[in-house]
Amino acid sequence: MLAKPDSALVIVGHGSTVNPDSSAPTFDHAEALRVRGVFGEVHCAFWKEEPSFRQVLHMVGRDDIYVVPNFISEGYFTTTVIPRELELDGALTRRGGRVIKYCEPTGNDPRMTDLLLRRAAEIAPGVDPAQTSLLIVGHGTGLNENSAVAAKREVERIAARGLYAEVLNAYMEEEPLIAKWDEYSTQPNVVVVPFFISDGLHSYEDIPVLLGIAGASPGAASAGGREVFQRNPYHLRGRTLFYASAIGTEPLFADVILEQVAAFDAVHAA
Amino acid sequence: MSRDVEKALADWLAGGGDRIGEIVIARVPEGWELRHAEDAGHADLALHAQPEAARHLANLDAAGNFRPLKTVPTLVRGWRLVLGDIAAVRRALDYFYPAMTGAWLSHTRGELVPVVLRETLGRQTGMYRVTQKLTDPQARELIDRVCAGCLKHRLWEIAAANPSSPAFPAGSLPLLCHEACNLLVAQAREVVKKAERAVT
Ligand code: SF4
Repeated sequence: MLAKPDSALVIVGHGSTVNPDSSAPTFDHAEALRVRGVFGEVHCAFWKEEPSFRQVLHMVGRDDIYVVPNFISEGYFTTTVIPRELELDGALTRRGGRVIKYCEPTGNDPRMTDLLLRRAAEIAPGVDPAQTSLLIVGHGTGLNENSAVAAKREVERIAARGLYAEVLNAYMEEEPLIAKWDEYSTQPNVVVVPFFISDGLHSYEDIPVLLGIAGASPGAASAGGREVFQRNPYHLRGRTLFYASAIGTEPLFADVILEQVAAFDAVHAA
Repeated sequence: MSRDVEKALADWLAGGGDRIGEIVIARVPEGWELRHAEDAGHADLALHAQPEAARHLANLDAAGNFRPLKTVPTLVRGWRLVLGDIAAVRRALDYFYPAMTGAWLSHTRGELVPVVLRETLGRQTGMYRVTQKLTDPQARELIDRVCAGCLKHRLWEIAAANPSSPAFPAGSLPLLCHEACNLLVAQAREVVKKAERAVT
């Protein structure tokens, strides 16, 4: 088991100025890891919240610092914003007696496939995967172009396991559109899992509206927030639909964060 | 450990420090008690005993709005948080006023280097690159408007370090801003966009 009492862990996330659920999973995973006592200290930092990327290193006491981005894929934030704001020289930064070790984003971890499968099975207990279409929802392209690539990669990996009758990608603003889920999925059961780091407007409101399981009036679904995940299954368009919360809320993400640290050490021979 | 934030906090408390932002800290038989300064003397407060309670207490204002910037003086009242040791006090303060104990330690060590607004904006990419067009008068107006509603002491200016040295009341742990926060940068974008719309 990993034991790093002389090291600090800093988990960095995006955060939000309007919604506390954006940073909540990152804080939760940090708390879980703090309780386990793997690191001498554990901190979080966010682009849109406090502590900010610019503040967090002032919180750290130890000189050996692992930084793990809690992001679904490599992209603009992991390659541009985080290195710039933390003033990193690359994977390894030595500055003022400190060593900062920049790890891979959590979403890159090979365990994502298992976590998605686990979440899918959890929300649809007793439902036969052989009669189920599994939809992995990703952000569309744009600044975070790699998140769509990551979602596609997960769909391919899950499909290769041959458990589900079909495994499909779906996006909010590009084909295949979430809104048309009943047109391209063929099975009587449909399980929808957002491949996102956290819940928020997308998972509480936008996706439920697109799926047709919540009213389109603003705030209709968000009024209940998490409730939208508790009313499974939904019977509509002749199918039985199960809707999961964002994969990043899975407590096993704490292990994925540790895995990024172990992977860093393996590559850079600690 | 080269920087011991907890020891610095313990020394500050031992030296009579009892105030950070809207919070007062008092020695109690169980250890330390934190509460909203305006709840001093109140008896009907909800008792919490875990530092993590601070995260949830700091999350929303009294109207239920999210508080992305924790140094805006909208901390809810009606609670007291009793903690057994300095490590727990430090964790609670990291939720109530993120990074402030650490930034203050850095400041006392001369390691909190102020970054002027022009440098912060000059570094931005993507959707925030446009903030580089912010004029000095716009920046002035923005700072007066946004930072006025924040308890931090600004160590930076638009193009130079802020020469006004912090004069904090005795016993109060300084809340220091060494660089414009993302909220201010996001507002700068709005100002520039609005000005651009006005001319087209
Ligand atoms: S820039 Fe600093 S002083 Fe101004 S609002 Fe943001 S944190 Fe407060």
